[in-house]
Amino acid sequence: MRYRGKRRGWGKWIAVAVSAAVLFFAADARNWLRNKDELRELAANSELGKIKFEAKVTEITSPRLRLKAYLLEDAENPIVSVSFIFKNAGYASDNAGEEGIANMTAALLTEGAGDYPGAVLKDELESRGIRVAFGADKDDFTGSLLTTKENLPQAVRLMNLMLTQPRFEHDDIARVQKQMINALRRQNENPNQVLLLEFNKELYGSHPYARNPLGREKVILAVDKARLQKFGQDNLITANLITGIAGDIGEEEAGRLLDAMFAGLPQSGSLNFVRNADLNFDNRSCQISRDIGQNVMLRAVGGAGRTHEDFYPLYVANYILGGAGLTSRLSQKIREEKGLTYGVYSYLSLDDKAPLIVSGFSSTPDKYAEAEALLEQEWKAFAENGASQEELDKAKKYLTASNNLRFASIENISAMLAAMQKYNLGLDFLQKRNDYISQIDLDSVNRAAKKYFAAPAVSVRIGSF
Amino acid sequence: MLVFAPFEGRAKLFGAQSFVLDNGLEVVFIPNRRAPIVKQMLWYKSGSVDEAPGKGGSAHLLEHLMFRGTEKISGQAFNRLMEENGAESNAFTSTDVTSYHQFLDVSRLEPAMFAEADRMRNLKISDEDFALERDIVFQERKQRIDNNPTAQFSEEIRRVLWQDSPYGRPVTGTEEEILNLSKDDIEAYYRRYYTPRQAVLILAGNLDAATARRLAEKYYGKIEGEAEELPARNFPALKKVRSRVEMRHPDVKTPRLLKVFATSSYRHEAEDVYPLRVLAAYMGEGETSKLYKKLVLRDKKALSVNADYNPLSKSYGTFSIGAVPAEGVDTAELEAALRAAWDEALQELSLDEIQKTKQKMLAGLVYLRDNPEDAAYVMGAMRSIGVPLDEIEEQADRIRAVDYRSLRKIARRLTTQSPQVSGILSPEGEKNAL
Repeated sequence: MRYRGKRRGWGKWIAVAVSAAVLFFAADARNWLRNKDELRELAANSELGKIKFEAKVTEITSPRLRLKAYLLEDAENPIVSVSFIFKNAGYASDNAGEEGIANMTAALLTEGAGDYPGAVLKDELESRGIRVAFGADKDDFTGSLLTTKENLPQAVRLMNLMLTQPRFEHDDIARVQKQMINALRRQNENPNQVLLLEFNKELYGSHPYARNPLGREKVILAVDKARLQKFGQDNLITANLITGIAGDIGEEEAGRLLDAMFAGLPQSGSLNFVRNADLNFDNRSCQISRDIGQNVMLRAVGGAGRTHEDFYPLYVANYILGGAGLTSRLSQKIREEKGLTYGVYSYLSLDDKAPLIVSGFSSTPDKYAEAEALLEQEWKAFAENGASQEELDKAKKYLTASNNLRFASIENISAMLAAMQKYNLGLDFLQKRNDYISQIDLDSVNRAAKKYFAAPAVSVRIGSF
Repeated sequence: MLVFAPFEGRAKLFGAQSFVLDNGLEVVFIPNRRAPIVKQMLWYKSGSVDEAPGKGGSAHLLEHLMFRGTEKISGQAFNRLMEENGAESNAFTSTDVTSYHQFLDVSRLEPAMFAEADRMRNLKISDEDFALERDIVFQERKQRIDNNPTAQFSEEIRRVLWQDSPYGRPVTGTEEEILNLSKDDIEAYYRRYYTPRQAVLILAGNLDAATARRLAEKYYGKIEGEAEELPARNFPALKKVRSRVEMRHPDVKTPRLLKVFATSSYRHEAEDVYPLRVLAAYMGEGETSKLYKKLVLRDKKALSVNADYNPLSKSYGTFSIGAVPAEGVDTAELEAALRAAWDEALQELSLDEIQKTKQKMLAGLVYLRDNPEDAAYVMGAMRSIGVPLDEIEEQADRIRAVDYRSLRKIARRLTTQSPQVSGILSPEGEKNAL
């Protein structure tokens, strides 16, 4: 849901790229384009508008283990991507006293498996161009595989070994512990990270969402092979497994892939239950003093989860207030009309146990107070008066016209297939998604605006005040 | 050992086609038929190094002002047009190039082409927009550099490595430069560099070459171009000195080491580019590289190490090695260990090792075709610096052709003959009065 600017490999070559952070509106739209009818016709009459595109998703069941997955076949390139989620195995469900073990496990699964010591495993993966990644967010433990069709059998075999027979050698554990502790220290170098950690503590209090994703130094040092194995047995189980497969692979082969990749995983384990976070929004704010170039702030109110009935109206409302990039109300008022910041935004944070609407910006201390007052004012005005029909129409145009961009890469597609299952969006979600947006009317958007954006917030700041 | 053959029978990386319009604009089309989407990128072959002396930040401020309107598409209309058409629209500026791009449904490509072509020559900058956008880029510099100690360290390394070259200046300009830029400075840069002959248009996505050509003619073909390309600029030769940068920073919590060498690029002793790419992969790309195996896994002197080679430059390329010392290892000890590991890795260089390194470089190339955004980015970054299209398409062959001798030669030259900087960034430690 947030901007992630990571581009693998080649992006590094343009080292000092600086960007206008432009994504996409404003109040007075009269005569904004002198020849706008002419320009509209360019799209309406374009010879390029005739492509039929199905994006057919099927549900498959593996022959032996009866595992289910969503599949989207696409033979544009001879490659296959698999994304999977072990639901409710994220870092918020780490055992008390073992905080950080989910991320540590993620780091160690690629450090050797079966007969392959770490260095040999990595050589095998790299020489075949097989890409593997594991990670843990608040809610889930995730994994992904990208491979050429030619190397698919070996890729699946290696993934299975990593999931079921990780070596967890002493030397590797010791090294990863040191790397994690170093990463913990580095978190304190960057004001955005410092602020985010403080935000989590202030907002979530005693709920496990308040944890540092990497854990604590003492706890990291206590992790050993036995604990890592126990984490796997308890959490990496087929009962909570969700899989999306995309690329040059048919239904039958995808079924066999599931059996081969997840063979040997326990069917059930012992997942820690994480309660819904009962958050106290009371307009409190806290601040950290630090002598830095810009003050940074984050502000949150309660939101609606992905499957909540208010999700789509809220999604559209947030787009109008702060999700649209340069054309959002916040960007228009604070950046475009006043030049007070390089970027101001709001987004829906969709964590399972505490959905939020988060907003933030950074400004030099001389401009900060004015920017913050404008942000508060825009939130308030939006909650009180809602959006106009014109704003709603524009939001719908953007959100529906951009729908196909989700098919940019095979990796995006497999990750999306997994998310569709996690949130029970249905096999036909990709065909129906634009209807869900189109059906939203102004009343529902403005009800959502009133219900959510007027609520008391929690905010944190860092810098010189 | 087992050898796979990526790109066998399909030697071309992207299967791209290119053509040049009468006004000199080059167009490169890359097909991708999966979904009805397309990436348009317009790359200008000019960046911060092309700014007039003392006018640092003009290229970047212009990039921002390009979103503030023309005669036909005025005020915020460009951004609204992109929104209405579901486009992800953005831009970036680097030392060498400036790129404007939209990712959108192919049915919406034509308005985006219209608007991108329109702002190549018809930009109108009002005094008010100029003042606002100068404030915004000032805030951007504060956000990216002042709130990030490692960015301050990188700027210092560049300043020292590049001596008097414009490559040593920050892409954003310094604070003082930004605040002193005038509208005339920006307009002068715009008039000089934003022309068809000094740009490359990339279209990557679900259309065919003939349509791409027809649309490029339709929207970009009428733009008046100048007769000849600007003469290639000469950048100063760097003195072959070894410098050190030691930065103690109050916000830094853990030390790190960064060595940077000024070396060959696609525009400077280009024959060494592929050997250097193989060398960087062999030495320090990923956890199968020699330096990682020695310094991190065996010697336990470092927590991470990586090498990175950037040949995309109109002047020298840069080869960098970065490392984070293990707890209890001081940076001097790490530097000595790095030197030893480098030498040892060179001793071990063999045909088999070279083959393994090439294999790992080639194995991932196929994925570049998958995402039209990646393909357009790689193509544009290379083509706008002047790498011939054939060479971009046949990179696999170029990598395969690197031999043992050229690799050894370039490795020795890199460390002994290149201008270089060793940098150490560390926590403030004890404050001494003197």
